[in-house]
Amino acid sequence: MADQPTALERFAQGILPENPVYRQLLGLCPTLAVTNSVKGAIIMGAAVLFVLLCANAMISLIRNLLKPHLRIVVFTLTIAAFVTIVDRFLAAYMYQMSKDLGPYIPLIIVNCIIICRCEVCASKQPVFTAAADAAGQSLGFTLGLVSIASVREILGTGMLLGFRVMPAAWPDWVIMVLPPGAFLTFGLLLGAVNWVVAKKSASGKKHQGAS
Amino acid sequence: MNIPQQTAPDIGNRMHHTFIFQAWLVLLLASFFGAALASVQLTLAPKIEANKLNETREKVPELVLGAAGAQAMATQNRHMKIEQQFIETGTRQKKSYSIFKAVADGRTKGWVAKTSGQGYADKIELLVGFDSDAETITGLFVLGQKETPGLGSKINETAWRGQFIGKAASQQLKAVKTEPSKPDEIKAITGATISSKSVCDIVNQCMGDLRQPLADMASGDSVAGDMQQENK
Amino acid sequence: MTETPDFIEPIDNTPIEPPSLIQVGHSPHLSHASCSTQRMMMDVLIALIPVTGMAVYIFRLYAIKQIAICLAVCLIAEAVFVKMRGRSFSLTDGSAAITGIILGLSLPGPAPWYVGVIASVVAIGIGKVIFGGLGMNLFNPAMVGRAFVMISFAGIMAASGYESAVSGIDAITQATPLNAFKQMGISTPLKDLFFGFTNGSPGETSALACLIGGIFLCIRRTASWEIPAGIIGTVLVMGGLADLTGSPSGWTALHHLFSGSLLFGAFFIATDPVTSPMTSKGKLIFGAGVGFFIMILRFFSGYPEGVMFAVLLMNAVTPLINNWTIPKAMGE
Repeated sequence: MADQPTALERFAQGILPENPVYRQLLGLCPTLAVTNSVKGAIIMGAAVLFVLLCANAMISLIRNLLKPHLRIVVFTLTIAAFVTIVDRFLAAYMYQMSKDLGPYIPLIIVNCIIICRCEVCASKQPVFTAAADAAGQSLGFTLGLVSIASVREILGTGMLLGFRVMPAAWPDWVIMVLPPGAFLTFGLLLGAVNWVVAKKSASGKKHQGAS
Repeated sequence: MNIPQQTAPDIGNRMHHTFIFQAWLVLLLASFFGAALASVQLTLAPKIEANKLNETREKVPELVLGAAGAQAMATQNRHMKIEQQFIETGTRQKKSYSIFKAVADGRTKGWVAKTSGQGYADKIELLVGFDSDAETITGLFVLGQKETPGLGSKINETAWRGQFIGKAASQQLKAVKTEPSKPDEIKAITGATISSKSVCDIVNQCMGDLRQPLADMASGDSVAGDMQQENK
Repeated sequence: MTETPDFIEPIDNTPIEPPSLIQVGHSPHLSHASCSTQRMMMDVLIALIPVTGMAVYIFRLYAIKQIAICLAVCLIAEAVFVKMRGRSFSLTDGSAAITGIILGLSLPGPAPWYVGVIASVVAIGIGKVIFGGLGMNLFNPAMVGRAFVMISFAGIMAASGYESAVSGIDAITQATPLNAFKQMGISTPLKDLFFGFTNGSPGETSALACLIGGIFLCIRRTASWEIPAGIIGTVLVMGGLADLTGSPSGWTALHHLFSGSLLFGAFFIATDPVTSPMTSKGKLIFGAGVGFFIMILRFFSGYPEGVMFAVLLMNAVTPLINNWTIPKAMGE
């Protein structure tokens, strides 16, 4: 296990270098579906944080008992249980939000980020590392969602988190809060991220070549 | 994991084959999570049910008394008794309505009916308020809609919904594109004629179906035949 | 345009040496040096003169404003985006100018300035440059831009957005013919539809001007006659059937043909060579498909007009049509 990344590395990786939305392109269903408001995006990110943290910790604790051919069943069982808890909790304490997010909270069960982290990290590394990994990945996911949601909410409604940020004369670009706006915004932001990464790695190489 | 050797029939390997040995972790986790979810459900279910009910219920005073009336009632700290009932009725086809009877100071103040119908994009869910004799509309509220943002979603706006207040329940309302000149006309939202028409149609159907049963109930006639009462 | 033999995949833009003396590609066999992108774009610009003239004559400043904004912003956007991608300057091929003019002609006159600006940036940026520039785009850029603002600013772009009581121009104070028919069942006289003294997008009202420009394009072979023929044929058949079978409404197949942006779309928008199929058969299928969707949208959708969505829908299936209709080379 010496070559496995440390907790800190796991945490940092999830946020930018291995950002689930922009670098791994995982969990795109909620990325496209719930990003028409920043508030929805944050709640979604928090729900994923809770589920991923619990699932990762749980799997990590029982990692030595796992049988390879039954591990996916155990992953799914664990994830489904925590997702159901989140879903019920939202319905009880944030009823309106739970209605707005609709089926996308239960759908966290099939969000590949979570099963991917269980497989890649939690089933191989100790609890603390697994928890750090969960935190990093969920933060990265939330960052991805919030960045898309901010663009869509500002352009589509002139507001951010319910506060007016654009002048009153701003004409709302309704298309941005509709599904096509999700695809357009995500595509453009993804392009921008790729462009930055390509530029960075190119300049990094040049630097290495010079020295 | 280790594939048991055919040639070593010792007890340990035999155990590896058994169902229980393979699946004990899954079974244990399943029962553990099952118990956890059951307790979560038991704790939260009443709250979730209450949320669903309150969503409709808290709108009742405003729909029956108007915004000012409801405000006044709240400041005087008087409470309205709200009784939920279910009515199955319909002129064209049987439809089940959830009705809220608003009672204050011992008298029936009015009725609120929950109804829904097809809009432009998806189902529109409405709450329609009637006065005690079900003669006029006292309020309209949009519980749920997925109409086009910026156009059809304007059915949510107070000013537009306000047009329905005071309309006689005996007539059929029409959405018109010009300024309304007759009492049965509602000004359609510019660019969202279909959503406006849908709301009018849903309200019309609701009025047609419920006016008689509500009036009967108000006058105390027995309508036990086609109504099951469920006081909560 | 150089013809490349089928059996060599042109991976990049380096010219490929013909492997033998005799080289046969499939049609169209273009040998004229004059047959360049530039010549085609010039033809389109000439063909747009009657339409633009009528637009300016009927809508005055409203038309001039929309065309000027769209033209200017499209040219600037093209220059900026192309520079961003590190490509050589491509303004001289005239494609951005045509996108701008067609876009300007298809926006409602009273629409505020920012509608044209946003539509133009989206048309060039998302409609064209993102796909790799001229020749690579899947969808007609002008229609991408128009669809974007149409969905964004539904209130401004809907049929009611065309009407403005304070304009002082007769046409703009009326409802558009298609909307008047759809909402109130009023038929506009054919003569008005034909000459274009009705409300609508500046470029679309005059059927006569569209026909003059369109026929010029077809004679010059810049536009393929199969596409407008397919559209007009389908619309006449479907419109005729609807007129015969339905209750008499006074809205005949000819009304369908001359109203809305049908002829403008048929001759100037659907015929974009980049986003329409390559073979004659494919073009006929494409035209028929556009006509079919226009009529379906006019009959059954919430919108009075359907040319824009019909063209975009058929753009999306163009690769499929190409796949069906391009003849296989021998031995493949």
